[in-house]
Amino acid sequence: MRIKAQVSMVMNLDKCLGCHTCSITCKNVWTNRPGAEYMYFNNVETKPGIGYPKNWEDQEKWKGGWKVENGELALRSGSNKAIRLLKLFYHPDQPELDDYYEPWTYDYETLIHTKRKNHQPVARPRSLITQKRMDIKWGPNWEDDLASPETSRQDVNLKNMGQKIAVEYQDLFMKYLPRLCNHCLNPACVAACPSGAIYKRDEDGVVLISQDVCRGWRHCVPACPYKKIYYNWKTNKAEKCVFCYPRVEDGLPTVCTDTCPGRIRYNGILLYDMDRVTEAASAEEKDVYRKVKDIILDPKDPEVQKAAKEAGIPDAFIHAAERSPIYKIVKEWDLALPLHPEFRTLPMVWYIPPLSPIIKEVEAATYLPDAEEMRIPVAYLASLFSAGDEGPVRQSLARLLEIRTYMRSKLTEEEPPKLPLAGDQYEAMYRLLAIAKRKDRIVLPAGIQDKSHEDRRFLQGSAGYSCPGGC
Amino acid sequence: MKFFIWGVLPYIALFMLIFGTAFRYWKFERGWTSKSSEFLEKSSLKYAGPMFHLGLLMAFGGHVIGILIPKYFTEAAGIDEHVYHMIALAGGIPAGILFLGGFLLLMVRRFGKDRMQVNTSQMDRVLYLVLFLTIVSGFAGTLLNIPGAFDYRTTISPWFRSILAFSPDISLMETVPPVFRLHMMMWMITAFIFPFTRLVHCLSFPFTYFFRSPIVYRKK
Repeated sequence: MRIKAQVSMVMNLDKCLGCHTCSITCKNVWTNRPGAEYMYFNNVETKPGIGYPKNWEDQEKWKGGWKVENGELALRSGSNKAIRLLKLFYHPDQPELDDYYEPWTYDYETLIHTKRKNHQPVARPRSLITQKRMDIKWGPNWEDDLASPETSRQDVNLKNMGQKIAVEYQDLFMKYLPRLCNHCLNPACVAACPSGAIYKRDEDGVVLISQDVCRGWRHCVPACPYKKIYYNWKTNKAEKCVFCYPRVEDGLPTVCTDTCPGRIRYNGILLYDMDRVTEAASAEEKDVYRKVKDIILDPKDPEVQKAAKEAGIPDAFIHAAERSPIYKIVKEWDLALPLHPEFRTLPMVWYIPPLSPIIKEVEAATYLPDAEEMRIPVAYLASLFSAGDEGPVRQSLARLLEIRTYMRSKLTEEEPPKLPLAGDQYEAMYRLLAIAKRKDRIVLPAGIQDKSHEDRRFLQGSAGYSCPGGC
Repeated sequence: MKFFIWGVLPYIALFMLIFGTAFRYWKFERGWTSKSSEFLEKSSLKYAGPMFHLGLLMAFGGHVIGILIPKYFTEAAGIDEHVYHMIALAGGIPAGILFLGGFLLLMVRRFGKDRMQVNTSQMDRVLYLVLFLTIVSGFAGTLLNIPGAFDYRTTISPWFRSILAFSPDISLMETVPPVFRLHMMMWMITAFIFPFTRLVHCLSFPFTYFFRSPIVYRKK
């Protein structure tokens, strides 16, 4: 057993209101630069939809993530390194600008400087790449609230369901899906990088790209099945979400977490067994979720704590892991699921699937519905969050409803119906999911560990977790 | 003047090539990249990119053989001048076609497509001109010398080796035809500007990728 610490995030989709505040604040902090105009380290998609970039989930097309070949884990882009390197000269699976969208601005100046005319002046769109006039045909969020039904119908998850999208207005469904880099335990981008520029940070598992070492070979871009690595056309190097590491090191949440008006995001530490990552990633498609839960270790277990100390994990990390909201939601309550576990990268951003309105037919007769009686088909959620296995999704949705049943019975002072967990568990879930304070939603260890206050002040701003010159 | 061109200039060029490049790597690694433009303009790269690079590798291999292996070596191995020339043409002409053809396609792409303008710096324009003259002069030399009247392996090659041995013999360059002289000038210019251009990415071919573990962990 080799224990590592991992910063992780849970998003409670049940509370996501699709406002894009996370995307905007993230963009303002990280990608409002030339070359990065088109990048959204965090974006919010409306599902069903093809998303950003177009059809990112379709691995037949992009060949992202991993596959199991003769019992061995191999990159889907090919298990032979030499053949993969031939793609340095032209990568057939690399997305291009138009797969995302051509970023633009408007000629605002004309509004101020046009001469007196009969008609109102118009600010026409201008490409931020070529600076020429352009027609806007697609944007980073073209499908917002099902605004583009033709493309929404092409969502691969609908195909996976083997079901046509409901076309009747009263049967329509949609949900929001905020996406960022998953800081995976088994990142395909890292494995695909020819230069070795991408790495998992040893201290907290954040996946970063060294801008010095990156040579712009671009193999990471198609390799990431979530398409969360972006090629900067100006610096000609790859960039990605950094999990706001300068903030996280200070014990502050990521920007997207901090600014979320719905407070749907939780940040915390998980401890996992590094030796069993490969085993989890090469499991049967539908078992990956269970296996990855298995390698996440109980931070309160004295054995685990001892092994973690031996592995050099600072006490502050272990204490944070003990109070981790992520551990509770993912492991104790089985509420949150990974996005597309079948890509086998073992994502460390987790989603609590959303409840949805009761379907029309049973609306009148139902107060609290079953999973089947809600608008978003369970099969659809299962295609997103559990490789098509409906079990985990049902489990999670049922639990969300149990919380409501329990809390309702408290309010109405009725005897609560028989529920699978004890009452205080539901109370705890209710507190964490509904009314948790910032200190409960965000449990991150701050600063350089095992250093005196004076030393820390001296080192301020000089480096990441460990200190310059080694300490 | 002759002494400067054939006895001094090569050293200036090689000095820039080696120390300039090392300095750039040491001081400005942040800007060291292949400068790929596939993201902006994909379809036109499909054949042009691989063609150019394959032609380049073939041409490079041919130059290594032709320049670094002395004539008495191949003759001792039983390959006479005529056979050697035929082998050189059999490799050199396809290499030239791929190399120059790929380069022309890349030029059309670079200067003909709207979005490519944002990926083209002033240095790229200079580089395209220099490379164009280098490739054309080299390929023209090969084609004009099909009859085999001029033997570069008794003139240019020993001259180049004399440069490497730090005892330049400029008399060897006296009988060299103009097109080959131009080619010699061009490689010196290319070597001189090498550290300032995107060409540096050729030194970064990721051989280490074959030997490293898939997932990299790094402590700061």
